[in-house]
Amino acid sequence: MEDFEQHLKNALGRKEQPAWFEAKVLAAATPPQSRPQPYWRWAAALAAMILIGTGVLVQEERQERAAGEAAKARLQLALKITVTELSKIQKTVRTSTEEE
Amino acid sequence: MITIKIAFIAGIALAPLGAQELKLPASLDRLAAKASEVVDVTLDANLLQLASKFLSDKDADDAKVKKVIAGLKGIYVRSFEFEKAGEYQDSDVEPVRAQLRSPAWSRIVGVRSQKSGDNAEVYVKTENGKIGGLAIVSTEPKELTIVSIEGSIDPDQLSELGGHFGIPKIEPDSQHKNDKNSKSGKDE
Amino acid sequence: MTFAEVLRANQSMVFSLAYHFLRDPAAAEEVAQDVFMQLYRKMDDLDGAKHVTFWLRKVTSHRCIDYVRKRGSQATISLADVAEPSIPEQHGDPLLNRRLRQLIATLPEKPRMVMVLRYQEDLTPDEISEVLEMPVGTVKSHLQRSLEMLREKIDRSMGDIR
Repeated sequence: MEDFEQHLKNALGRKEQPAWFEAKVLAAATPPQSRPQPYWRWAAALAAMILIGTGVLVQEERQERAAGEAAKARLQLALKITVTELSKIQKTVRTSTEEE
Repeated sequence: MITIKIAFIAGIALAPLGAQELKLPASLDRLAAKASEVVDVTLDANLLQLASKFLSDKDADDAKVKKVIAGLKGIYVRSFEFEKAGEYQDSDVEPVRAQLRSPAWSRIVGVRSQKSGDNAEVYVKTENGKIGGLAIVSTEPKELTIVSIEGSIDPDQLSELGGHFGIPKIEPDSQHKNDKNSKSGKDE
Repeated sequence: MTFAEVLRANQSMVFSLAYHFLRDPAAAEEVAQDVFMQLYRKMDDLDGAKHVTFWLRKVTSHRCIDYVRKRGSQATISLADVAEPSIPEQHGDPLLNRRLRQLIATLPEKPRMVMVLRYQEDLTPDEISEVLEMPVGTVKSHLQRSLEMLREKIDRSMGDIR
């Protein structure tokens, strides 16, 4: 696939639905049912709390990397917009000067 | 012919000392509700430092960007695209222009097209004889873009970013003249 | 597959088709929900995951085109969506992506849906022809003209794209 078509694929990449969408559709489609929570659900919740508490799920380094990459992407976008605007202005100045 | 680069130098000579940060008014955020696309980038000194940590000296493009931002204190971009013309007024942009009329800022380029309704202005502020900030206000019927860059910025380094990351190249005047001359030579 | 499983597997595809076509998250949500409600009523008539996916694409496409024709192409963006800070694109150039999406939104309904099905869902012209119930020749013609228009406008506004 040529480059331009790849750009189109990038631009039209799937957009995620809102977080509440699935629950909303299920609620509209299926009647609510109440079920007693099995005991093992409580055990799983307790185990998760213990894991979090002992720091197994700590992700500080990953979060910093994610924040850094996001900042870098925003920076590139800002510089891109800046240079694009300056380029447009330069072209307009040249065009109007040549017409004089 | 005034190029952006010469205009920067002229701006340094003309502008008085004294710094005044450009504040992007909260009223601009109201335009977001009417816009079909919004780009809102706020990078203060801390975020710029963080971004710089993730720019590799070994990558040529990253290294160029690192040089550009080395002296910067902040980059702020608000860009709005609208489905139709008339969704924003001059009065929405006036709080920004009013700040840029202060003595700290000098307008170095202003272009207006009667035909398309496009209008663009570039301002610089100086501190101690050096460029301490850059502002661009670009208005089109369906698009408004405001860029504010605080800190020491080198226009040569900015234009070097052209041709990378999908940024169009800012063609230097000498290249543009050569192209024109060779073209008219062929026509004869 | 249960309805919940089908929903989970396909909600992104349906919502995204509607979103890229309508460029209005609230309208996309409304259309997507309607499509799944219709699916819920029709589940027993559909046979297998592939058939379901085909059916969803077809109904979503037609619903989107009908939506625009009934209510006009004016996009209204909800404040909740716009108020989010701009998130860096996962892939590609954010400025170019934005410009491309904007230009695609200016296409008439049928070519617009052809482009979205082609480049979001990676469908071939034959597959698009079945989804939209449109001759293959017409699909190819829409693709070719739309690509030409987009290339020309992008080159003019953004210069050489690498």
